[in-house]
Amino acid sequence: MILVRRSCNLPQRLNDTNMDLTTPPAAADVPGGEGAEESTVAGMAKQQPVSEMRKMEMMVAVDDSEGSFYALGWALDHLFRGRTLEENDRLGRVTAVHVQEPFQHYLFPAGPGGTAFYASSAVIESVKKAQEENSAIILSRALQMCREKMVKAQTLIMTGDPKDMICRATEEMHVDLLVIGSRGLGKIKRAFLGSVSDYCAHHSKCPVLIVKPPKEVDKQA
Amino acid sequence: MASAGDKPVMLVGIDDSEHSLYALDWTIDHFFAPFSHCPPFKLVVLHAKPSPSTMAGFSGPASAAVITIIDADLKISAARIGDKAKEICSRRSVEDAMVEFVEGDARQVLCDSVEKHHASVLVVGSHGYGTIKRAVLGSVSDYCAHHAQCSVMIVKKPKNMH
Repeated sequence: MILVRRSCNLPQRLNDTNMDLTTPPAAADVPGGEGAEESTVAGMAKQQPVSEMRKMEMMVAVDDSEGSFYALGWALDHLFRGRTLEENDRLGRVTAVHVQEPFQHYLFPAGPGGTAFYASSAVIESVKKAQEENSAIILSRALQMCREKMVKAQTLIMTGDPKDMICRATEEMHVDLLVIGSRGLGKIKRAFLGSVSDYCAHHSKCPVLIVKPPKEVDKQA
Repeated sequence: MASAGDKPVMLVGIDDSEHSLYALDWTIDHFFAPFSHCPPFKLVVLHAKPSPSTMAGFSGPASAAVITIIDADLKISAARIGDKAKEICSRRSVEDAMVEFVEGDARQVLCDSVEKHHASVLVVGSHGYGTIKRAVLGSVSDYCAHHAQCSVMIVKKPKNMH
């Protein structure tokens, strides 16, 4: 089951129902989605007035890890160079998405014998609540970061397997660029990729930017 | 080689395929064209020229003549790719783009160039191979995503493009 809740500081309709995979994207004002593909092939005019440029619809996947916030910060720094909200708004829009793992309620031992049974509804409720709070903290931190860099952002919470959910979200929202950290909660050598970023790099239909953490040793020329 | 002034470097790897030229196009479209006077990155386009010995390897004991012919052929195709890249850059008025050719295996060349230029982003196209083809043919974009020392952007060409 997928529950999608969208909260944002842009005037958008709130959608609290299960996501219907055939609905058109909520953002009707982004001209970039399909149009971008055709116009890049045709020759473009030498000088493009800024008001005509399509906005880049960017999605950033965040979770508990520092790597994902570093990715968000990196993307905001490099891609949104304007000094005001209006300038950055013209460049594009950011959606921060957090995917909650589904709660495996049948694994909870409820009795003294240690046998697994279905957890009581109180336990389910409290875990759900904890998950909601966790997502809220993560996303508010992401929104705060965007606000500091003067970029308008919206948030999206999904439940399910992160790899699949992120790829599906990029398709449904016609995202131009997916930004993702390279490793999540597993700390391995810099040379390897975490499972979610690896999956998204292969399976997402839109371009993927994998942001690697900074080098520990400063190697200036 | 000194890296450009104070702009972070965006390195785009291209080969002969449409996918990589689409990647270059997409990159310029989203990161250079909207900022007509002051793009946030310096663009370096890199083509990895396969070395003649790798191409001639399967033809048995390769004589010097065969290698020379293959070499000439590779030079021509590399020049052609370089010209296409330069043309795309100038069409979008990207002023200070640098086009480079390095000989060697694409994967290694791209990762080494990232080090050399201290690039902040490496952009590669992707053939969109499935898991099996990827394992058998090898994937440059996959290797780069894992091993490049900087952020990697993999640009895919949508299947419904003509």
